[in-house]
Amino acid sequence: MIEINATMIAQVVNFLILVAILRALAYEPVAKMLKQRSDKIQNSLDQAAADRKAAEQTLAQYKNQLAEANRKAQEIVDRAELTARQERDALVAETKREIERMKQNAQAEIQNERNRAFEEMKSEIVTLSLQAAEKIVAKNLSAKENDKLVNDFISGLNSNMFNAK
Amino acid sequence: MEHIGVRETVKFLGLTFNWETLCMTWLAMAIVIIVSCLAVRSLKLVPSGWQNFIEMIVVWLHEQLEAMMGKKRGMQFAPFIVSLFLFLLTCNLLGLIPFLESPTNDLNTTLGLALLVVALVHFFGLYFKGGHYIAHFFQPVAPFVIINMIEEIAKPITLAFRLFGNILAGEILIIVLLHLTENPFWLSLPSVAWLGFSIFISCVHAVIFTMLSMAYLSNAVKEE
Repeated sequence: MIEINATMIAQVVNFLILVAILRALAYEPVAKMLKQRSDKIQNSLDQAAADRKAAEQTLAQYKNQLAEANRKAQEIVDRAELTARQERDALVAETKREIERMKQNAQAEIQNERNRAFEEMKSEIVTLSLQAAEKIVAKNLSAKENDKLVNDFISGLNSNMFNAK
Repeated sequence: MEHIGVRETVKFLGLTFNWETLCMTWLAMAIVIIVSCLAVRSLKLVPSGWQNFIEMIVVWLHEQLEAMMGKKRGMQFAPFIVSLFLFLLTCNLLGLIPFLESPTNDLNTTLGLALLVVALVHFFGLYFKGGHYIAHFFQPVAPFVIINMIEEIAKPITLAFRLFGNILAGEILIIVLLHLTENPFWLSLPSVAWLGFSIFISCVHAVIFTMLSMAYLSNAVKEE
């Protein structure tokens, strides 16, 4: 029933022939196809990863640009506010200076007016004094009357002066 | 049943050959080659039909080889292992078709393949590892060479007889079941059940023979 004979060697040869044929006709093409598929999948994955990275970079770039634009806009607004504040302050200071100058001018003018009025009054006093002297001399009054006349004039003069002031 | 195990022989150049075994082997080879050629006739990047089947087997065996021997060396043995599996699967299943028989129900086939595997194991072991391969038979201590030799001799014997015994027993039982009764109902039921189980056994033993061959090869040649 069990007999080992030359069939064994023939089977080994048969199998080796089968290996050679299968390797050439079937295995190599299948292995090549599997390699191609594996490479393609790997390439697709690599490409997808690269695309994702590029997309993330673009997004980050856009975010940076947006942040930069916001910063610049804020800077412009801040600068405008600062300029406006400086101009307002300058205007207020100028106005204050103008007011001060006008005030000083007014005071100076008042002082001048006062001085001028005082000068006028002094000349008026001199004139009146001369007139009084003329009257005294004309009437030739006694010494007592003369003193009275002078005192009256002076008292009258003082009251006039203070009233005028 | 007297014809079980009796083989028609032919003489050629003074050598005796089991003619039926050779014919069945050529038939199995033809089936494997035709199916493989049909499967790879128009390979597509997106597989369909038979391409799926052949790719499934190739990918599965690639994974096993890579796990056992490493990628580079595993791929060197892949054509041999894929051919071995497809050939054994076809041979085992061939005997389940009426009027045909499995080439693997002949010890000449299984022992031939087992000896080929063991010869390859030692050849590539020496080729890749040189003196270290010889030295490993004397480990852990020199007297262990006896046990290691017994193991090495047992390898092809167990490999060959396991496959031969299972396939022959399966085919004998198919014949025995057909002779149990004359009633067609009771005749068909166990036969069909046993046929289904034999298909499973055929696949399992093709896998076992291939996996053990890979294991023996990997012990000898795997990348350190």
